[in-house]
Amino acid sequence: MNNTFNINRFGLLLKRQWLDFGKIYLISLLVVAGVLIGFYFWNTPSLIKYKNFNNVMQFRYGLFLTLGFIFISVVASSYFALLGQKARATLELMTPASTFEKFLGGVFYTAIISVATYLVLFYVIDLSFVKYINAHLTEFKLDGDNNSLVKPAESITADILNDENHLKYFLHFIAVPFLITSIFLLGSVYFNRFHYIKTAISVMIFSGVATYVTYKTASILTQGLVYVHHEGNQNNRDSTLLFILLITSALTLIFWTIAYIRLKEKEV
Amino acid sequence: MEVIKTNYTLVYYLTNTVGMIKINNLNFGYSKHKPLFKNMSMQLSNGHIYGLLGKNGAGKSSLLKNLAGLVYAQSGTLEVMGFTPAKRQPALLEQICFIPEEFYLPSVKIDSYVKANAPFYKNFNHSYFFELLKEFDIPANNKLIDMSYGQKKKFIIAFGLATEAKLVIMDEPTNGLDIPSKAQFRKIMASALTDDRCIIISTHQVRDLDNLIDTVIMLDENDVALKASVEEITNKLTFKKVKELDESIIYAEPSLSGYNAVMPNYHNEDSKLDMELLFNAILAEKIKFKPLFN
Amino acid sequence: MEFRDNKAIYLQIADYVCEHILLGKWKADEKVPSVRELAVEMEVNPNTVMRTYELLQNKNIINNKRGIGFFVDENATEHVKTYRKIQFIDDELPVVFRNIYLLNIGFDELEAKYKTFVKENFNA
Repeated sequence: MNNTFNINRFGLLLKRQWLDFGKIYLISLLVVAGVLIGFYFWNTPSLIKYKNFNNVMQFRYGLFLTLGFIFISVVASSYFALLGQKARATLELMTPASTFEKFLGGVFYTAIISVATYLVLFYVIDLSFVKYINAHLTEFKLDGDNNSLVKPAESITADILNDENHLKYFLHFIAVPFLITSIFLLGSVYFNRFHYIKTAISVMIFSGVATYVTYKTASILTQGLVYVHHEGNQNNRDSTLLFILLITSALTLIFWTIAYIRLKEKEV
Repeated sequence: MEVIKTNYTLVYYLTNTVGMIKINNLNFGYSKHKPLFKNMSMQLSNGHIYGLLGKNGAGKSSLLKNLAGLVYAQSGTLEVMGFTPAKRQPALLEQICFIPEEFYLPSVKIDSYVKANAPFYKNFNHSYFFELLKEFDIPANNKLIDMSYGQKKKFIIAFGLATEAKLVIMDEPTNGLDIPSKAQFRKIMASALTDDRCIIISTHQVRDLDNLIDTVIMLDENDVALKASVEEITNKLTFKKVKELDESIIYAEPSLSGYNAVMPNYHNEDSKLDMELLFNAILAEKIKFKPLFN
Repeated sequence: MEFRDNKAIYLQIADYVCEHILLGKWKADEKVPSVRELAVEMEVNPNTVMRTYELLQNKNIINNKRGIGFFVDENATEHVKTYRKIQFIDDELPVVFRNIYLLNIGFDELEAKYKTFVKENFNA
């Protein structure tokens, strides 16, 4: 018997975890759907006020990011939270699956499933609203000129994929949601109680300190130097984006590794 | 015929002499300044029901958790069926049935709990499981959340035994069971002991279980104060009621008609082991018992 | 079964088995309950019952047919009586003697009492 990873056992573990975790997960997904629909409902353009949909639909980006952050972080911070309770932790740790499989189950649900379902949910709701608006386009007419129609709305996905700049940003920030889930997954196994708040505070303190240290070292290193503007701005931005992609991916892997080690060390 | 007989003896020899649990110089404590076990060593084998006794805080639960790999020792080695429990390997986990004092069950039906958890144990015996539920008077279509503490406890015991695990660890199993359930529990445990199984039960309520236990393990002062079979104890000691105290008595407690006393078994008497009396006697007169059970 | 406080459990179980044989509930050459069955019935450790069966085997009250189980010996009743007699003389009689001595009871008185007892209880 392989004591580290066995695909059948991993499948059994995912099924078993769903029994405990699934109900809460589906409920939070339902809440997210409700909030999304609510926002779209109140923010989609009405006949009189707006002329150009694409400008107006800008609220989607903020909504997508904020709600996405809240959803995936809450899901991730609740996954191993049950290990904080002795009785539940005993049952989890005694389940005949390896620690690696148990950890991988956490990654599967918090990083893959939660991010994927959120994207799909957002896509479906966005698309239905866009479809709805475009179907009623004839009712939206520009002031003054009764014959010209307004521009049809575009879905957020089309919006991103059709704009080269948007797409570039999107691809380079792709590791960010995984970074968020890895941090909150670590928080859920690291702390015994109040996982979310404690993780959030730790992240704030940590990033505050990191920013301060970077700022200080930068200002010390650049003391007495003069900033010279040069060409190649585009190049500079590209390398920054690449740097962000690399650093977020690396941090994600690091946080996952620490979470795995903490899970291994967990005692009841 | 002769060959078969030899093999039989060999199998018997192997199953009865190979230690299922080997503890060597185990040091354990929740903080460095307050050790719970100091250089503890002990061997346990299959085919026995061990009764783990000790005062509150003597480390009964901690020893059981060490065996199950739920906590980590500072030093020393601990081996269960050749595995190190701290590694939490599935091959060992599926051979351990651990019934903790405080437990959690998800809010699902018995049926879905079994469907989700039983496949992890390749020897899980479904018909035995339903037999046990029946014995314990638990309707098989119950929802776990709607059951009382005692019923839940009986459920996890039934599930645990049905896994056919070789090592059965129970922390205060009779806590929360009513009187008929305790009798059912004793019957079930009597039938659960097989030659290849090792059962360890920690308990405060010795009276619930004293006829079930064949070997007593007593923890006191960071170590094993006594580990002896009931037979060995009653060979060396006599437990009886006496009217007056005399020199030979090691320990005595006043009772209605005189004293309940423990004394060396000079006359080869076959007395009944009074586990509660033995427990108090060892706590009070540890030094006097030491030479009797090297 | 209710166990008494003063006698080892395995001996009390031996008494239980002997009682069944004497009362004819378990007859000669019949199979007795397996170790496990009796342990479950008595709510005791199977190893204790095993010890009982070993004792009874030594006293030729039951015998072990390998692979089949334990059977009541054909002369079990005889052997039970011998076993119980030794037990009685060793364990119980000294207590009775002590009381006879302390209370100054004469053998004539004792004999009369014994005869009445047998008459009343066994119609002999």
